[in-house]
Amino acid sequence: MIIQIFLSGVLVSVAIVVALQRTSTNLVRLAVLGVIALGVYFVWAPEQSNALAHAVGIGRGADLLFYLWVIITLALIMFMYLKIQRLSHRLAELARAVALAHPEQPNTTGDKS
Amino acid sequence: MQHSANARHIWVVVPAYREGAVVGRTVTELRRWFSQVVVVDDGSPDTTGDEALAAGAVVVRHPLNLGQGAALQTGIEYALRRGADFIGTFDADGQHSAEDLAGMLKVLQHDGLDIVLGSRFLGRAEGISWARRLFLRAAVAFTNLTTGVRLTDAHNGLRIMTAAAARQLKLHQDQMAHASEIIAQVGRLGLRYKEAPVTITYDAYSVGKGQRLSNGFRILSDLMSGWLQR
Repeated sequence: MIIQIFLSGVLVSVAIVVALQRTSTNLVRLAVLGVIALGVYFVWAPEQSNALAHAVGIGRGADLLFYLWVIITLALIMFMYLKIQRLSHRLAELARAVALAHPEQPNTTGDKS
Repeated sequence: MQHSANARHIWVVVPAYREGAVVGRTVTELRRWFSQVVVVDDGSPDTTGDEALAAGAVVVRHPLNLGQGAALQTGIEYALRRGADFIGTFDADGQHSAEDLAGMLKVLQHDGLDIVLGSRFLGRAEGISWARRLFLRAAVAFTNLTTGVRLTDAHNGLRIMTAAAARQLKLHQDQMAHASEIIAQVGRLGLRYKEAPVTITYDAYSVGKGQRLSNGFRILSDLMSGWLQR
């Protein structure tokens, strides 16, 4: 009972933060809220997660959640990696624009270029 | 001063990072053959940009270090803005020969090509270690396999291309993988290319600065993540 209240509290807090986020897209927000709702549901009805696990051929509900957690984490890492790549490309473009805005000419005379 | 009897606009792009000790000499040597040299100082903490400027190169400075591929792209864009007809690329550490580049320009014009790539294995690689040779051969095999372009040397910084070809090249690989990326784009764009034998001089300085074997894996992973994003 104690752990269930604690877990629910954490999940609901995260849900509130996510719901108030203006930056992420609606789709991402809905997906995260859906996952949290499912989490809360399984916290209070663990036998349901067991049933679901059995249905897909996994022994325990906790294992099923663990596998899902690994997959979601890997997907998130991949997503963030690609996002960092995109950001670094934009940074490169910015740095390039700054560099090209101020070319320094050599102070040799007779260089007509 | 200009030995290449050619009135057309030729710009040589030299990407440089922490090459303050040698870039001046490299620019001076280049300017015996080519009057227009742009050094891209890739956010060096040392005097690279000032040395290049003093030796008579135009200098554009990245406000932060981005990598050699990004520096090349910046230099190429600068050269195009200045109305270059031909654009050469040249390593800052002095391992290339400006005379080789002049010869490559002749081949480019004479054969009506889009790009001429330097090859140390058609030419001479002086003082090369067996490990480096093996690494570079492996890079060639990988590049030939993945790009459909047949080359003998995949990671040579000495190139010359027409402005039209330069305009089509888009280097997204900021780090060292750009060498393979250029070749991949040569294949994809169907550019007319040729390799020319060049001499690479490995002295203690360039060996210290050059590709380490572990970089090969880095290049490989950079390329793979590049494919993922396409």
